[in-house]
Amino acid sequence: MGVNLEGITPEEQQELERNVLLTSLEQVKGWARSSSLWPMTFGLACCAIEMMGTGGSHYDFDRFGVIFRASPRQSDVMMVAGTVTKKMAPIVRRLYDQMPEPRWVIAVGVCATAGGPYINSYNVVKGVDQIVPVDVYIPGCPPSPVAIIYGVNKLQEKIMYEAKTGKRVPNTND
Amino acid sequence: MWGTGFFKGLGFTLKMLTEKKVTHKYPDEPYIMPDRFRGIQHFEPDKCIVCNQCVRVCPTGCINLVGKANPDPEKKGKVIDTYDINFEICILCDLCTEVCPTEAIVMTNNFELATYSRDYLMKDLKWLSENNKNVREENH
Repeated sequence: MGVNLEGITPEEQQELERNVLLTSLEQVKGWARSSSLWPMTFGLACCAIEMMGTGGSHYDFDRFGVIFRASPRQSDVMMVAGTVTKKMAPIVRRLYDQMPEPRWVIAVGVCATAGGPYINSYNVVKGVDQIVPVDVYIPGCPPSPVAIIYGVNKLQEKIMYEAKTGKRVPNTND
Repeated sequence: MWGTGFFKGLGFTLKMLTEKKVTHKYPDEPYIMPDRFRGIQHFEPDKCIVCNQCVRVCPTGCINLVGKANPDPEKKGKVIDTYDINFEICILCDLCTEVCPTEAIVMTNNFELATYSRDYLMKDLKWLSENNKNVREENH
């Protein structure tokens, strides 16, 4: 196996990058991944109550293919909902490492984003992005279920964008 | 009798089919928040008198403001120069809007705030003054 990539001219390189078949395959993969995001139930504090409420019938996460799994081995996205203490941080990291690729992280609430009301505390991690890479931040204390749905939709848009263009999503607000 | 529970349950399921659906179609239809919902703040620079009360009352210390002397030398007092809310740690406790004597800072019903980067959660004077949709009608 192995393709000889030595004697490729820049024109051929561009032609390869425009490869229709493989790009469409990536898009199909992005579509499949974004429409069956299985989050791990990772409630650490009061944001978890809102996360559970989003799974209920009034807001209904199942409409987006978001079905909570109780095991990191079966989940695609980790919704860190709540305050991450320094004692909890190694366990958050271990559970993230146990998740199969591709995996994403959503920081739900201001505690997971930056420490929130415990910003001056000695034993709270100031943002879960210090231990795991975070894709979407949802501010709010706690964010309402519709805000969580909006954040999940942002993550789906991000997966589709990255599958379509092959680039990282621009860090803009709009 | 054997099987009555089955028909009872199925009857309830069939009855529920005619009821109104409870699921809200949120991303397709806008979700109207009740009037006491606490969303992100709206700030009106003209009303602010730089009394610094919102900075003092904020439990997480997420508000930063800088005033400057009134450009009109006839008038006393200060006008606002910069006003930043660090929305990473704002817990939407409503204390800044309660304490504000001129209602320069009010709450809105906007909740769609999720971002890909923490940098964009730092809201400045321009963003907050342009955030003038869905302002809560009653702020006290």
